[in-house]
Amino acid sequence: MGLWDHVIAGMLAVFQSDPVLGVPITLLMVLGGFLLGIAVGATPGLAGPMAMAISLPILISIFGYSSDALLPVLGFLIGIMKGATVGGAVPAILFNTPGTPDAFMTTLDGYPMAQRGEARQALRVAHFSSAAGDTFSDVVLILCAPFLAIMVESYLDLPEKAALLILSLAFIATVIGKSVGKGIISMGLGLFAAMIATGEDFYPRLTLDQPALAEGIPVAAAILGVLILGEVFKALEDIHRGAQGPRAVPRSDETHHEKRRLGLRRLLPYIGRSAVIGTCIGALPGVGSTLAATLGYTSAKRHYDRKKASGDREFGEGAPEGVAATEAANSSVSGANLIPVLSLGIPGNAAAVFLILAMDSIGGFNPGPSVFQLGGGIGDDAMNPEMVLAFGLFTTMFVANALNWTIGGVFMRWVGVMARVPKARLLPIVLLLTLTAIYVQETSMIAVWITLFFGFLGYIMRRIDMSPLPFVIAFILGGNLEATARRAFAATGADPFFLFNSPIALTFIVMAVGVVAWGIRKPAS
Amino acid sequence: MKPRYSADTWLALVGLGFALLVIFVWVPLDTGTGFVEKVRRRYTIGDALGPTVAAIVIAVGAVLAWLRPAQSGTLTRKNLVWMARLLALFALCLLIMRYAGPLAAMGMEGGYRPLRSTAPWNYIGYLLGGTIMVGGLTGLAAGRFSSRDFVIGFACALVIALLYDLPFDGLVLPPNGDV
Repeated sequence: MGLWDHVIAGMLAVFQSDPVLGVPITLLMVLGGFLLGIAVGATPGLAGPMAMAISLPILISIFGYSSDALLPVLGFLIGIMKGATVGGAVPAILFNTPGTPDAFMTTLDGYPMAQRGEARQALRVAHFSSAAGDTFSDVVLILCAPFLAIMVESYLDLPEKAALLILSLAFIATVIGKSVGKGIISMGLGLFAAMIATGEDFYPRLTLDQPALAEGIPVAAAILGVLILGEVFKALEDIHRGAQGPRAVPRSDETHHEKRRLGLRRLLPYIGRSAVIGTCIGALPGVGSTLAATLGYTSAKRHYDRKKASGDREFGEGAPEGVAATEAANSSVSGANLIPVLSLGIPGNAAAVFLILAMDSIGGFNPGPSVFQLGGGIGDDAMNPEMVLAFGLFTTMFVANALNWTIGGVFMRWVGVMARVPKARLLPIVLLLTLTAIYVQETSMIAVWITLFFGFLGYIMRRIDMSPLPFVIAFILGGNLEATARRAFAATGADPFFLFNSPIALTFIVMAVGVVAWGIRKPAS
Repeated sequence: MKPRYSADTWLALVGLGFALLVIFVWVPLDTGTGFVEKVRRRYTIGDALGPTVAAIVIAVGAVLAWLRPAQSGTLTRKNLVWMARLLALFALCLLIMRYAGPLAAMGMEGGYRPLRSTAPWNYIGYLLGGTIMVGGLTGLAAGRFSSRDFVIGFACALVIALLYDLPFDGLVLPPNGDV
């Protein structure tokens, strides 16, 4: 079976999935996820990964663990991921409150536009730029991920794959957060947590003879605890201490203010430049959309300062170009972030973590280089089901993009009201929902306590400015790294220097050391 | 007065202490195999190597945090008090969630166990614990407890319970899988 057979089979898997009310279920799930994502993105304090975390156990309860569940579940999660990126701009523009962290730069020009009575235009610019950046990023993903995976599979053996995992973890630990040392501690803790009750010996290691730990730390409990509960604990304390500033209310009297005609064509160079920046940033694991938005904005500002006419507004005073540059950059991260997921099995951000968690929980799809192997390692005539699923996944992304272009803008304007939901009321409900989801999945109060333990760990990490993301990614990759190292050690005849013997593996290790050294040398922020 | 040790120095000390504890105490006492094992005349990586490497990574991070301290947040006494409050609230809620149903069914023949998948018994613990959790957290955040928050908490707990219980026969609400 050739490449095109897999592409067509992937598309058919989406469009010919079991119908509900005459509509294929996968399409319905993408739509549901997308609308939920916009609503969640428009709600300050909630974020796409939070909604993905809460939805996942419910989706698994609905669809079960069969391979037929993968596309509807992943379609829903991808819908949330894309919707939240668009929705984050809504409160940023209307209320000067970014719905998601990466929408902070949108407030700089979006809110002044709203104050001038141009809220609708600002939302249109944000939507158009976001949809354009997202679509560009998805095209790059589809073009790059298969080739990267094929290259990895062709050139990298077990020692090189182990070295590549080490490089990825070193990179993530270094670039996320303010301090390299803290990033590495966070990563080390994640690796250590992954080691508990795993291993090859009959005795479950590091369990202190506790039966509760004998099955290992539930993956969902650790991830949801650190990422969701930790954030909820911190946000609630911020509210308690009055750290949430008063919410600004836009002036809505459009008739008294200047109305500018929206020239979308004028914005295209800014959108294009930001989309390229966001896609490049997104392809690097661990480098988030906030950095992409910042780089996109500053790059656009430089360009704008050179090109602007005398009557044009400055950046920061309500220039639509600023909104366009930011939204295109942060939206183009989401597709590119899946390049390391699908080609290497390495999650680059929190949303990717939940996609991998879904694939891992349901089974039948192991993201990594083997996904794009023609024949699936069986024979040239065989269909590789993982490749079919990968192209099904790409199809769901384009379905979400189509929804974004068509109904995204309209829905975006409706959900402005979500920004008024008080966080103090919303977050405890999110917490109860998360704990319930954990219990339903694990059926044990111990899992709830473990989730709370990791919640407190996540809270402490946030308070001491240690990013929890290296912890989560190392926790997910820890088992894979150890298994790959074991196999590489055995395959090289128990060579203790298996990471240094091949030029490619050695290069990866040198790069890992180099990236940490670079991180240490850069000025501490 | 400037503190003698920065927050990063304390973090580094805790990190180093934990790493040393893992390497020299926890791993030797709590793993079944060493760094390298000989199985069927072939050497393989043992179970002790992975956790030791993880601890070394933590130690390296701690040393780097010590050598290159950054302007960063720190865990204050207020944060510890906040954590203690949260912990107390969760302990109360989960205890109520766990034991409210069995207590309510004490007079019934056979106790709670035969009733744990039957409405309204299966909802008692979850609704009580969930209501106090949502209302209590909202009150902690706002700095005052109000009956309205607990009413909202009850409504939310009820909606979540019905969301899971009505459509899915195989799912059990907390704490019914444990009792």
